Amino acid sequence: MKTKDITLVALLTSIGVVISIIESYFPFLSSFVPGLKLGLANIVVLFALYKYNFKIAFLVSILRVFLASLLRTGFGFNFFFSLSGAFLSIIFMYLFKKTKLSIIGVSMIGSISHSIGQVLIGIVLLKNTAIIYYLPYLLIFSLPTGILIGIISKKLLKYTENII
Amino acid sequence: MNKKDFLLIIVVIIIISIMFIFTNMTKEKGDTAEVYYEDKLILQIDLNIDKEYTVQGFLGDVVIEVKDKKVRVKKENSPQHICSKEGFISDSSKALICLPNKIVIKIVGTSELDGVVY
Repeated sequence: MKTKDITLVALLTSIGVVISIIESYFPFLSSFVPGLKLGLANIVVLFALYKYNFKIAFLVSILRVFLASLLRTGFGFNFFFSLSGAFLSIIFMYLFKKTKLSIIGVSMIGSISHSIGQVLIGIVLLKNTAIIYYLPYLLIFSLPTGILIGIISKKLLKYTENII
Repeated sequence: MNKKDFLLIIVVIIIISIMFIFTNMTKEKGDTAEVYYEDKLILQIDLNIDKEYTVQGFLGDVVIEVKDKKVRVKKENSPQHICSKEGFISDSSKALICLPNKIVIKIVGTSELDGVVY
C-alpha cells in the first residue's frame, strides 16, 4: 500500500467514525425497528468506492466499525451486527457497481444488504430464526435511506471532482 | 437515478410485499406462547391464563407477563431494553426478541386442522 492510500484510508475512516458517533445521538429511527438507522457513514464508503477503489472502501468500511465500537458501544452484540452489515454491504456494493445501476442504486443495494447482514448475524447469534420477522420492516426503510445516502454521495462526488 | 434504479426499487417493493402478505396469511391467533433460550424451548405459556412468569436469560431474569391473551416482556436486564419496549404481541406474525438475553418468545397458533399426518 502506498503512503497516499494509507493516509486516505485513515482520513476517510476518521470522518466515518465521527459521522457514526454523531448519528448515534439521533436514534429516532430505531424506535420504529430496533437497529434501524440512516447509515450516514455509508456516504464515506460510497465516496471511497467511487472516487478511489474497492480496497480503500473495504478498509474504510471495516476499520470504521472497529473504531466506532471501540469508542462507543464496545465489542458486544452491536459490534457483530455492524460488522456483518458493513461487510455484506461493501461486498454487494462492489459487485453491483459493475452493473448499470447508478450510485443511487448501488447505495440502495448497500442498505438492503446491510439489513440482510444484520438479520443473518442475528440468526447466528441467537441460534433462532424468529428474528427474521424484522427483515421486511428493515427493508421498507432501507429503500428511502439508501436513496438518500446515494443522492448525498452523488453530490459529494460532484463537488469534490477536482480535489484530493 | 436511471431506469435500472427504478427497476431495483420495484423489485424490492415486490419482495417486501410478498414477505408481508406471506406473514399475514400465515398469521395465527394462537393461545400458546413458546419461550426459547437460543434454540431450546424452555417454557410453554397458556395465554388464556393471566399470569407472570420468570425465566433465566443470559443477563439475568426475564419477566414475562400474560394479559388478555397477549404476551409481553415486563422486565429484563439489557442495555437497550428493546424487547420490553416492544410491548404486547398477540399473534404469530410478530415475536419478542431479547437478543442480549438470548430469549425469543413466539406465539404458536392452534392449528385449524383436525390432525396432521406425517
